[in-house]
Formats: sequence, C-alpha cells, structure tokens
Amino acid sequence: MRKQIPNIAGGLFLIFLLIFPLIYGRADYDYIMHILITGFFYAILAASWSMLSGYAGQFSFGHMGFMAIGAYTTGLFCHYIYISPEPTGLCWETGFFGQWLVVVNPIGVTSTTLTQDCLRQALAGWGGGVEVTSMPVPLGILLGTIMGGIAGFLIGMLVLRLRAAYLALFTLGFSEILKATISAEIDITRGQAGLELPPLYPNGVTWFGSYFEPTDKIPPYYTMLALLIVCLLILTWLARSKFGLFVRALREDQDAAAALGVNTVRYKVLVFTITCAMAAAAGAVQGHYVQIITPNMLFLLQMSLVVAMAVIGGIENFVAAAIGAILLQVALELLRNSFVIGGIEVDMTIWRLVFFGILLMVTLRFFRNGLIAPVIHYFRREGVAEETVAKRATLTGPGGGPHRAEAPD
Amino acid sequence: MLFWGVIVWMIVWGVAGSILIKRRYLARDLDTSNANFVGAMAGASLGPVGIAALWTKTPKSSNFLIVGLGLLTVLLVAVTFSFADPENICVTSGGFVASQFVNGLIIGIIYGFMALGLSLIFSILGVVSFAHGEFYMIGGMLVYFITAVWIPGVPPLLAVMGACAIAFVIGAVFERLMLTPMYHGKIDRPVEYGILVTFGLAFTLQYFVQALAGANPVKAQRFLSFPRWSWPEGADPVWIKTSRGSMTLFEQVSISSPRFTAAITCILVLLALLYLLHRTWTGKALRAVSQDREAAAIAGINPDRMNMLAFALGGMIAALAGALLVQAFSWLPQVGAIPAMRSFVIVVLGGLGSLPGAFVGGIMVGLVEAAGTGCVPDPQKAASYIPAYGMIVLTLTLLLRPTGMFGRRFASGAHGQF
Repeated sequence: MRKQIPNIAGGLFLIFLLIFPLIYGRADYDYIMHILITGFFYAILAASWSMLSGYAGQFSFGHMGFMAIGAYTTGLFCHYIYISPEPTGLCWETGFFGQWLVVVNPIGVTSTTLTQDCLRQALAGWGGGVEVTSMPVPLGILLGTIMGGIAGFLIGMLVLRLRAAYLALFTLGFSEILKATISAEIDITRGQAGLELPPLYPNGVTWFGSYFEPTDKIPPYYTMLALLIVCLLILTWLARSKFGLFVRALREDQDAAAALGVNTVRYKVLVFTITCAMAAAAGAVQGHYVQIITPNMLFLLQMSLVVAMAVIGGIENFVAAAIGAILLQVALELLRNSFVIGGIEVDMTIWRLVFFGILLMVTLRFFRNGLIAPVIHYFRREGVAEETVAKRATLTGPGGGPHRAEAPD
Repeated sequence: MLFWGVIVWMIVWGVAGSILIKRRYLARDLDTSNANFVGAMAGASLGPVGIAALWTKTPKSSNFLIVGLGLLTVLLVAVTFSFADPENICVTSGGFVASQFVNGLIIGIIYGFMALGLSLIFSILGVVSFAHGEFYMIGGMLVYFITAVWIPGVPPLLAVMGACAIAFVIGAVFERLMLTPMYHGKIDRPVEYGILVTFGLAFTLQYFVQALAGANPVKAQRFLSFPRWSWPEGADPVWIKTSRGSMTLFEQVSISSPRFTAAITCILVLLALLYLLHRTWTGKALRAVSQDREAAAIAGINPDRMNMLAFALGGMIAALAGALLVQAFSWLPQVGAIPAMRSFVIVVLGGLGSLPGAFVGGIMVGLVEAAGTGCVPDPQKAASYIPAYGMIVLTLTLLLRPTGMFGRRFASGAHGQF
C-alpha cells in the first residue's frame, strides 16, 4: 500500500493543478496563474533536459537554444506569412488553393516605420475591401516543434564524437551563436526590441459554454499543462521501453553499449531530436503566451535555472525534475519580497538567487539524485526485501562500489 | 555576392576534402587525427586540385604543409574580401589595419593569459571550470572596491595583489569543499559533477556580487599615466609618442595605457608562471600530477594539495586578468560571461590542457575578433556578432581537429573521454 503513496500524491497534485484555476478567487489571480504557467514551461524544459542529460548522459547547455528555435520559428511564421484573396502586387507572393500566400518584407526596422511593410501598403491601397488572414497559431507551434526536432537532429549528428566537457562547450557555443544571430539580424528578428506574436487563441476560445478572452489566463494554463502532461507521458513511455534501457546503457559506458549491440549513433541522435523538439514546443507555446520574444531568453541565467531545477528535483527522474521546476518557480516568486533587518534593506530579488545557487551546489554534493526523487524512491522501495536494499546500499554507497572508469585519473 | 560565392565554394570543397581524405586515411589504416583538418584546408584553398594532390600522395603530409594550407585559406578569404568590397576601411587604410592588428594582439595576449588558467585547471583536475568568468569578474570588482570604496588612495599594485589573493583563497576553499570529494570516490559521475558544480559556483558568485555591489556599472581609474615623451626628436613620422592616456606608434597605431599595462603585466606573470612550472619543485609536482596521478602519488606528491593549488592558481589568473582590465572596461556582475566563452574557445583551439596552446590560441582569437569587428561593413551588426566569431572558431575546431592545435592524446583519453 505504501508503495502507492507517490502515485497517489502525484495524482492528487495533478488534480489540484487541474482544478486550481477554477477554485482560486483572490485578487492576485492573474499573477499566480502567470507564475504557474511559467512553472509548467520550466517543467517541460527541465524534464526534457533531465532526459537528455540525466538519462542519456549528454550534457547539453544549449537547451534554451532549441527552445528559442521553436519560439522564433512560430514567431517569424505568424509575423511574415499571410493569406490574401487578392494579389498584392507589392510583396513576394504565390498562388495557394485559389488564394495568395503573401510573404511580408518589412520596410524599415524601427517601430515608427512599423506600418510601412508591403502588405499594409497594399491594404491601404485596397481601402478596406479585402480581408487578409494570418496563419493559424497551432500550425506555427507545430512548425516550431518540427524545426526544433530538425535542429536537434543536426546538432545530435554533429556532436556524435563529443563527450562531457566538449559537448557542454559545443552546445553552449551553439546557443551563443544563435543569440548573436538573433540580436544582429534586426531587419528580420527585430533584435533586442523583440518580435511580437499573436496570442495563443487570437479570437478567444469557448470551452464548455464559457467564452474566454485572448488575454485570459485559463486557456494558456490548460494548454501548457496539457503539453507538460503529454511530454511527461512520452518521456515515461520512452524510459520504460527499450529506448530508455539503451540510452541508460549509453550513459554508463558508450563503448560497452556499442559492443553489446546498441546502435549508439541512432539512439544518441534520437534522444537529441526528441528532447529538443519538446523544448521547442514549450518555447513556441510560451512565446505565444507572453506574446513577445527577445534574444534575452537565451541568457545563460535561463539555462542555469533549468539546470538547477532539474538537479534539485532529481536529474535522473524527469517527473521529479518537472515537479521540482514547478515548486522552485513558485518558491522563487514567494521569496521575492524584500525585507529590512536592523536598518539594512535586503533586496531579496537578488539574494534569493544566491540561496538558490548555494542550494544547487549543496544538492549536487550531498544528494546526487536531487531532493524529490529520493522521496519517491523511499516509498517505492517498500516491499523490497531488506537484504536487497542493504546490498544495493553497499554497492552504490560512498567508497564502496565500483567507480566509473572515466573518473579523472 | 562574389564574396559569398567564393565562401560557399570553399565550404563545399572543404567539406568534400575533409570527408574524402578522412576516408582515404581510414582505408590506408593511417593516423586520422590530422586528416580532417588537412583535407578541409586543401579543399578550401585549392579546390578539387588540392584534394586530388593530397589523395594521390596520401601518406605524405608534414606540419609545414598543414600550417601552409591553413594560412593559404585565410589569405584567400582576405583577398576575396578585398576584391568584393574595395571601399572597406580594412582595404583602403593601412594604418587602420595596423592598429586593429596591434589591439587584437594585445587583447589576445590578455585573453590567452586568462585561458591559461582554465587550461591549468583542466590539465590537473580534468574539470572544465564554468566559473572562470566569475573569477575574472571578481578580480575586477575587488580592485574597484579596494581602490575606490574601501581604502581610497591605495596604490593599484597593492589592490591587484589583494584581489588576486582573495580569488586564490576562494578557489582553494571551493576546491577543498566541492571538488576534492570527486577524487575520493564519493561522487558517482565525476565528469558531469565537475561541470555542474562549477556552473553552480558561477551562478552563486555572480548573484552574490550583484547583491552586494548592485547592478550599476563601475570603472576603476587607470593605474598608470604615461609621461609626455616622444622619440626620436624631430623625425617624421615620430616613432613613439605618448600622452597621459595612450601611446601612439608611427602616428597611426594608438594603444591606451590600461591595455598596455595589462598586456605587459600578463607577459611578466606568464614568465613567472613558466618559471614556477618548470624550475621549482611545486611546478614539477603540478606537471607530474597532470601526467599521471598515481605515479606522482607514489613519488611522494600529494595530489589533493596539487589539485587545490591548481584550481586556486587558475582562479587567480582569471582574477588577475579581470583586475587588469577593470581600468579599461566598465564592470558589471555579468561581465564574466563573454571572456569565459572566449577562454573556452581558446583552450579548445589550443588543445584542452595545453599551456602554450592556450597562449597561441588566445592571440589567434584576439586577431580573429579584431578582424571581425573592424572589417564587417555594418558596424552595429559587427558588434552584435562579437561573441559568435569565437564560437565559429570553436565549432570549426571541434569538427576538424577536436584535440586542438597542441592537444595531447592522453589528455583527451583520460580526461575528456574523447
């Protein structure tokens, strides 16, 4: 019975998250909802990153880069491509099932000349007689996910030979190049000014008879939660199948795995593709939710947050990583309030991150499975014979077990 | 248009050469560590002719050939650039090129020096310190606080030494608390642990400094003002002329006092470091540990102490670079990220764990960045792309010759698990 406690607790937590928006009614409703949506966003990133690094042992610091690829793909797609019933004669366009697919070229990059792109000029010429349709948001998110997957595939192919520190440096470099490119190509991405995206549901949405405005928090909340659950289900399914076994073999000893017949190339590339596609999907949805994307989301701080959340939750257990991400996001927001001790004002917006960093290091040093995963393991171990537990403890305990061959000298 | 056409041509033949020559070497059962690089360079510089020549004379390739082909490729890019954009300041003004070159060299020396610290840490601990940029930041911050806030009027030399000492202590304490357990089998996966825990240190240090110092940029006074002086008298052009803040060579190349002092100090400290590593017992012990831990321990060297010394020294070197540059740039808690990236690029380019490689790589990266910032037509774009130039070098190195220029085989075997 006690073995089921993690499942029951997880189920209760999920039900709580599902009904929370319906029962919560205080004045800071929108703020709390925003924190939770961001928490789910980080949870997807942390879970997919823990699959990539904890399960498969591929330490990538470029996860935010793939997230940005997803966000910018859907952003550029929704920003530049329209469907018009009439040819504009100004833009680059092509026939498309009796309509015209218009690719807008922006003229001028500053905000004062925003209204001057070729489609707006054409619209002004028509004088309101023609309605252009923008691209559907779900298609943009799908494209973003696919682009993230393709980028993950390519990067996975490139880093096949690289391990450990080299892999971390290479992926960090990839993320930095992407950030520099996005910041520099102002005429396309608008650089630091940020690219505006349409909301997740541009015309509002009607669920169960009630209508929600595009700015309401409930639709993005459930969308992000659904995406998180889908990602976790896929990851669970993968981890329990042959795939999970193979990538863990890859992590422990690549050469031995290859010798035993695991197609290491294939599984390395696959795990990159899948997790990067997940990160891209999260980025695309988040981009449509906050409605503006800037290259600043590629800052190393963002990546450190994801890493810290995954490590504190439990890097080898993606469910724990996801829960850790949600809880930490909430905790970080709760700690935001500054206070005064003895006449000195303590600016908690910064100090909370210091404590967070110290917590990260302490967790790494003393709880290598994170803080949440061991709790799950504790209950899971109930019912296993005590000798087995003791034997496992001596095998993996400090100083006892076999160390990995790759230990530095 | 011409430029990009030639670049695409070079990339296509470079990729083809890299793949073909590698296959050729594999089929002949030869050492393939150079095959990728030499094939790519031959393809890029000479096109199909170069690949064919290399293919027919397969086992023959010397270091001269490799370096020569690499230089030829760079030269070809430069010539194409000058034909494609004859109006560019890099083509028309020799003085501009000279001053960019000298400034690139100076900044390259400083970054090479900083990368040396990272390389030292890696060669002995087998850990890439992701907190290197934060040591750099701390060095600069401490110098600013010592000279401007805590003890105003203190000579800058003392402030720099104080900053180095504090960084040394931070490095030593962190190593003892967090990294030593790695070597006693208390950590399950040391390589990944090393990456993550230094990452955590970087995060903590950065926000700790931000919490204490605030997020406003600070800048220290310049340490040294030149005397007014020119030499030789009455010559045209004057060879050397100094004013308080800068020095002008041949009335073309201007070097500011902070950069000059920083580069000279870096070279002096580098010489001291080389003396330490090659002529003293401690230095020999450090090098012994980097070659073989167990053998060194048998010979009576305490590897744990050497680890601590290496990490502290590496952190101190980064802090020294920061302490010298705080007079040249304005300083923020986030300032460490870009030099840290550069150091990563440099150590990979030079070969992880190789000390001369770090220095040569630093100069190369400095020159590449100077060329990239000076010659790209749109200055705003050029400035935004600064972090990318180094990363392109890094990517090319990892793809073509992952051991870097002076990479040691065993360093990649035991440490980086290549």
